[in-house]
Amino acid sequence: MMEREETNIANTYRISKRTILFGVVPIIVIGAMIILLLNSPGILFQNSVKPLPKISIEKVEFSDGGIVAFIRNTGPSNTTIAQADVNDRIHPAAIEPSRILTRLADAKVIIPFVWNIGEPYKIGITTDDGTRFEKKVDSAAPAPRPTVGQASTFAIIGTYVGVIPVMMGLIWYPFIRRLSPNKYNFFLSLTAGLLVFLGIDALLESNEIAVSTLAPAFNAQILIIMVAIVSLITLLYVSQRLIQRASKRSKPKIEYKSGYSSHSEPDSQLSDIRSSSTSSQQQLLIKPIAISMMIAIGIGLHNFGEGLAIGAAVLLGEVALSSFLILGFTLHNTTEGLAIVAPMAKSRRIPVTKLMIMGLIAGGPTIIGAWVGGFLYSPIATVIFLSIGAGAIFQVVYSIAAWMYHTNGSRGLLNNHWIIIGFAFGMLIMYLTGLLV
Amino acid sequence: MSYPRIVVLFGIAISIVFFAISTMLYSRSSLSDQNSSKLDTVGGHTPGYPILKTTGDILDPTSFVINPKNAVVDPMKYLREFNYGRVSTSSNGTVIRDFTLIASDQQTKEVSPGVFYNVWTYNGTIPGPTIRATEGDLIRITLINKGTKFHSIHFHGIHPSEMDGVFEGIAPGGRFTYQFTAEPFGVFLYHCHMQPLEEHITHGLYGVYIVDPKQGRPQADEMVMLMNGYDTDFDTENNFYTVNGIPFYYMHHPIQIEKNRLIRIYLVNMLEFDPLNNFHLHANLFNFYKTGTKLIPDEYTDIVTMNQAERGILEFSYKYPGMYMFHAHKTEFAEKGWTGLFFVKDNTSESVNQNLNVTSTMNNTIYSKSNFSNATNIVPTGGLK
Repeated sequence: MMEREETNIANTYRISKRTILFGVVPIIVIGAMIILLLNSPGILFQNSVKPLPKISIEKVEFSDGGIVAFIRNTGPSNTTIAQADVNDRIHPAAIEPSRILTRLADAKVIIPFVWNIGEPYKIGITTDDGTRFEKKVDSAAPAPRPTVGQASTFAIIGTYVGVIPVMMGLIWYPFIRRLSPNKYNFFLSLTAGLLVFLGIDALLESNEIAVSTLAPAFNAQILIIMVAIVSLITLLYVSQRLIQRASKRSKPKIEYKSGYSSHSEPDSQLSDIRSSSTSSQQQLLIKPIAISMMIAIGIGLHNFGEGLAIGAAVLLGEVALSSFLILGFTLHNTTEGLAIVAPMAKSRRIPVTKLMIMGLIAGGPTIIGAWVGGFLYSPIATVIFLSIGAGAIFQVVYSIAAWMYHTNGSRGLLNNHWIIIGFAFGMLIMYLTGLLV
Repeated sequence: MSYPRIVVLFGIAISIVFFAISTMLYSRSSLSDQNSSKLDTVGGHTPGYPILKTTGDILDPTSFVINPKNAVVDPMKYLREFNYGRVSTSSNGTVIRDFTLIASDQQTKEVSPGVFYNVWTYNGTIPGPTIRATEGDLIRITLINKGTKFHSIHFHGIHPSEMDGVFEGIAPGGRFTYQFTAEPFGVFLYHCHMQPLEEHITHGLYGVYIVDPKQGRPQADEMVMLMNGYDTDFDTENNFYTVNGIPFYYMHHPIQIEKNRLIRIYLVNMLEFDPLNNFHLHANLFNFYKTGTKLIPDEYTDIVTMNQAERGILEFSYKYPGMYMFHAHKTEFAEKGWTGLFFVKDNTSESVNQNLNVTSTMNNTIYSKSNFSNATNIVPTGGLK
C-alpha cells in the first residue's frame, strides 16, 4: 500500500511535457516582451532627456611618471570619455582599451604626470556631455608591486596585525580554565561582545567601501546584507554538521584514538568522562572545541577581509603605516585570541600545537588578505569578503550564545548579570582599542 | 555530515573564491602592461614627462582639433573676422550699417575636444560675430529669435533706453531691430540681457563690438580675442577656459604673426563665475588702452587683469622670431584651456621654421594646413572697408 501511494505521488510530480510547457510559456511571454521593447521604434518610452552618465573611478595607482585611474561606466547607457585631469587641471592622457565605454565596461586612463609622494591628488574624468567625475586620493604612494620585498612587507604587517595578536590572546587559556562558572560566563559573554563589535565593524566598513568606491549600479549595499546572511546560515549549517559528526563519532568509544587530526577528535581524557555519561553530556563536552574551531574559522574569514582592507589602504595611499597604527591593530586583535580560547575553558586540556593551529587559522588569513588586497585590489571583492567575515562572526556569536544558554540551564541568558556586564564590557574594549587604529 | 554534501559545500566555497580572485585578476593591470604595437603616444608636450605609447585612445585637448562640423567656432577664422555690416548711406551722408543676428538655444556643439554642450548662440558661434563700425555710423541690428526662450541684445556704449535690450525681450519667433549711433569709439561687447542673466551669458550669448575712431588707428595686424569659459556640468564653476571659444586651440594652431609688425588685439573678458581673468604676453610688453576709449595708452605692461565685461586694446610687436606663449596668468585658467601661442615669423629668412620643433604637433591634423593658409591673409588695418 505504501509503495502504491509513493508511485502515485511520483506520477503527480513527474515532469511531463505539459509540465515543461506550463513552465516555458511565461518565459516565452517575457522574451516576446523584451523583443518588443528593444525593437519598438522608440515611441513607447522615449524620453527627450538623455540619461545622465555616471563614471566610477574605482582605483587610482601612482606609477613611475604617471597616474593610472581605473574607471567604469556605471551609468544607464554607453558613454564616451572626453578628457582627464589631475587636481582639476586638464592633462593629456591615454585611455585603454577605448574612450567609448559600454554599460558597466571598464577602462584604464593613463595620465603622464610627475607626482609628489605623500601629497593628496584629485583625479577627474570628463565625459562627452561635460560632466566631471572625481576621485580624491589622500596621499600619493607608489603602487605596491608584487615583488618579494613588498610581499614580505605585507607578510610582516599581516603577522603583526593578525597572527601575533591572536596568538597573544591564546595565552589567556590557562587563566580562563581556572575561573569560577560566573566569571567564566562573564568571559564568554565578553567574547560575544567583542565579536558583535567586530561583525558590526565589518558591516560598516564594507558599507563605507560600497558607498565611496562602488557605483550604485552594483547595488553593493544590498549585496553586503545578502552575502552576510548567506554566510551566516551556511556556516550555521556547517557547524551543526561538524558537531553532529563529532558526536556520532564519539559514540563508539574505543575505536578511534588516532587517525583523525580533527579538532573534534575525542582524546583519552574525554573518553574517560564520557564512559560514565549520557550522549547529551558527551555532546556538551565536544561542543566547546567545535565552537572554538568555528570561532577560529570565523575570525579567520574576518581577518582575511581585514587584510584585504589593509592591503588596499596601503595601495590606495589612504593610510600611512606607522608603528602606532600597527600597535593599535595588535591591541584590537589580541581580544580575538581570547574569543577562541574562552569556550574551551571547561573542556579537556588542549595541546599547545592545536591552539597554535587555531591561532593560525584565525590570524594567518590576514597575511593572505594583505597580499590580495595590496596587489590585486578590487573593491567589490573586498566588500564581499568583509561581508562573508561579518556573517561568520555572527554565526560564532550565535554558537556562543547557544552554548551559554545550554550550560546555564534553567537560569537563562539574560538573568545572569555577569553575562550582561561581560557583553557590554566586550564591546567597550573593542571600542576603546579601536580608537587606537 | 554526508560525504557528497561536504564535497558540494567545498565546491561552492572554492568556486566563490575562484570567482573573487578572477574578478580581481580581471580588473588588475598597470603601467608596465603597455603594449607597444600601436603608434599613438601621449605626454610629449611637457619636458621631463614620459612619453607613453598606448593601444587605446588618446585624450588630449591640448593637441586635438575639433571637427569643424561640430565645433562651436573656428577660432582661427574668428580671430581676424570683423563684420562691417551691409553698408548704405543716408540722405544726410551718415553711413548706415545693417547687421542680422539670429539667436538660437537648441544646438549642441563641441566646446572642447570631445565635450558637447547645449550652446545658446548669436549666428551659431561662441563668441558671436564681431560687429565693427566707425564712430558716428548708424548701426541697425536685426535680432531674429529662432530659439525657444526670450532673448535680447544689450550693447555696451551710448544709446537710448529702448535700444538697451533689457526691458523688452524678443519672443521666440519674433524679431526686433536695434538702432543707434556708434559712440564713443572704443572696444565694447554685446550680450543677451534676459533673466536669468547668468544662464543666458554662460550658455554663450555674447560677442565683441568695436567702434573705430573717425581718424582711424595706425596700420596693424588686428585681431579680436574674447576670453570666456564653459560650465558644462552646471556647478557654477567653469570646466573650461578659452580665448576665442575653444580651449587650447592656439596651442596646436599658433597664431602666425610677422616680426616687427604692429599687432593690435581687441581683448574682451566675458568670463562668468570667476571674478577675475587676465592676459599675459610672453617675452614682450604691450601698450594697453583701457576700454580703447583713448588714443594714448594707459599702461606699458605684460599683463592685464579684467573683471567680467572689462576690455581694452593691446598693441605690441615682436622683436625676435620664434614661438611665444600668451595665457591667463591665473594658472588654473591656463591649464584648463586659456593658453595659446604666437608664432613670430621672420619674413626675411626661412630659418625660423627649421629651428622650431614645436611645429610637430601642429601638423598632425588635416585642418591645420588650411588654417595656416588663412592666417597669411592678414586683414588690413581698422577703419572702413
